[in-house]
Amino acid sequence: MKLTLKNLLCQVLVIATMMLPFQSGQAAMIGTDQANTVASAQADRVALTSLLNRAETISQFQSMGLDATLASARVAAMSDTEVQSLVGKINALPAGADSGLALLILVVFFIWFFAFRR
Amino acid sequence: MTSRAAPAAVRNRTKSPYQMLKMHKGARLFTGAFILAITLGGCASLVPQTMALRDAWPAGVPPRIELADVPFFPQTEFQCGPAALATTLAHAGLSLTPEQLVEQVYLPARQGSLQADMLAAPRRYGVVSYPIAGRIDDLLREVAAGNPVLVLQDNGVALFSNWHYAVVAGFDYPAGELLLRSGETRRHAVPFTVFEYTWKKSAYWAMVTLPPDRIPATATESAYLSAVVAMARVGDAKAVATAYTTLLKRWPDNITASIALANTHYERGELPDAEALLRKAAARHPDSALVLNNLAQTLSDQGRNTEALKLVEHALRADSPFAAAVRETRETILSRLASGK
Repeated sequence: MKLTLKNLLCQVLVIATMMLPFQSGQAAMIGTDQANTVASAQADRVALTSLLNRAETISQFQSMGLDATLASARVAAMSDTEVQSLVGKINALPAGADSGLALLILVVFFIWFFAFRR
Repeated sequence: MTSRAAPAAVRNRTKSPYQMLKMHKGARLFTGAFILAITLGGCASLVPQTMALRDAWPAGVPPRIELADVPFFPQTEFQCGPAALATTLAHAGLSLTPEQLVEQVYLPARQGSLQADMLAAPRRYGVVSYPIAGRIDDLLREVAAGNPVLVLQDNGVALFSNWHYAVVAGFDYPAGELLLRSGETRRHAVPFTVFEYTWKKSAYWAMVTLPPDRIPATATESAYLSAVVAMARVGDAKAVATAYTTLLKRWPDNITASIALANTHYERGELPDAEALLRKAAARHPDSALVLNNLAQTLSDQGRNTEALKLVEHALRADSPFAAAVRETRETILSRLASGK
């Protein structure tokens, strides 16, 4: 438990430092992300939630067989909404794999269905 | 015949075999009609969109089309995610193989690929991934516009899920078939009904991947903007600028895209380009504190502080959530003016 928390904290800090140069270099220009959010207090909260969600998703990915670099690169390419859709649900969400055995049953199941194809 | 010959006493006590047969037949007929009604009614609700297509074929979509130039990568075990994604990305102009995508989308513990990863991976190549609305009309319109559509299907039955990614590369409505690049089959013809049944279980999930200079046929302004903003997180600067330019060509009023494009110019030190874009945006949105602030900053950086001050004061008058940032800009400009440049 303690270790997980530490892990999470580490992830948050790593991501936070990664974001740092962008923010300080752009003090005067209002950024694109900000332009998309309504109030700045809300924007702060959204940013924090996003940070935590991302860190959690990265560690979940790691526990599912990805190494740290791959996991963070994947999460970096996701939007906040997409990350949010993953948090805590990676095991339950559909993961497209292959059309194997069940397809055979399906074919039988659908023979009558072929009668009207459209 | 036997029933008529039966004694009256017997007939009164119990029902004759003939009567029983008649009743049984009625019950059978009733049950049969009931099952048929349920099945037919059930069918319509099983594949509601296919049923709706019978009455209303989407306008402007040809009855049959096949995108023969969509490549095919036969999948290896569990790798339909990378294979399907390589198919649409190769069609978008990238040269890559499914193997290169494995580490970007495949999740070993799940022996499959998640939708979020399928959407995320193309962005790393500067390609915009756009989740289309879950309507067969939209799917057909994308294919008709030449965009292969990546779909998530559940080929399982009842409780046994069997998630699978495939690419719709054409359809033949008179024959009642959709043409898929799927698994190990290059041209997998699937009846509309079967396709919808398997597609419905993913809540009709589908996406297209397009180069930044093309907008999906069914794109809406806000959804496409989100898709481009998401791509801008990891895509290379040139692709991002192209995508915003493409968006602004179609929807010139989009304030976020104007600011974002101006910001990409600003970051690269192309101040006059940033200024031109922001001026155009300011003409359309004269009271946007956001636009005025960024324009003021851009002007001040070019040494035009007096002009910048006027704009930033205007921005301060507008009630906006960016008041703190605007005040900061004003202070910068004032101190630059005081120090005489």
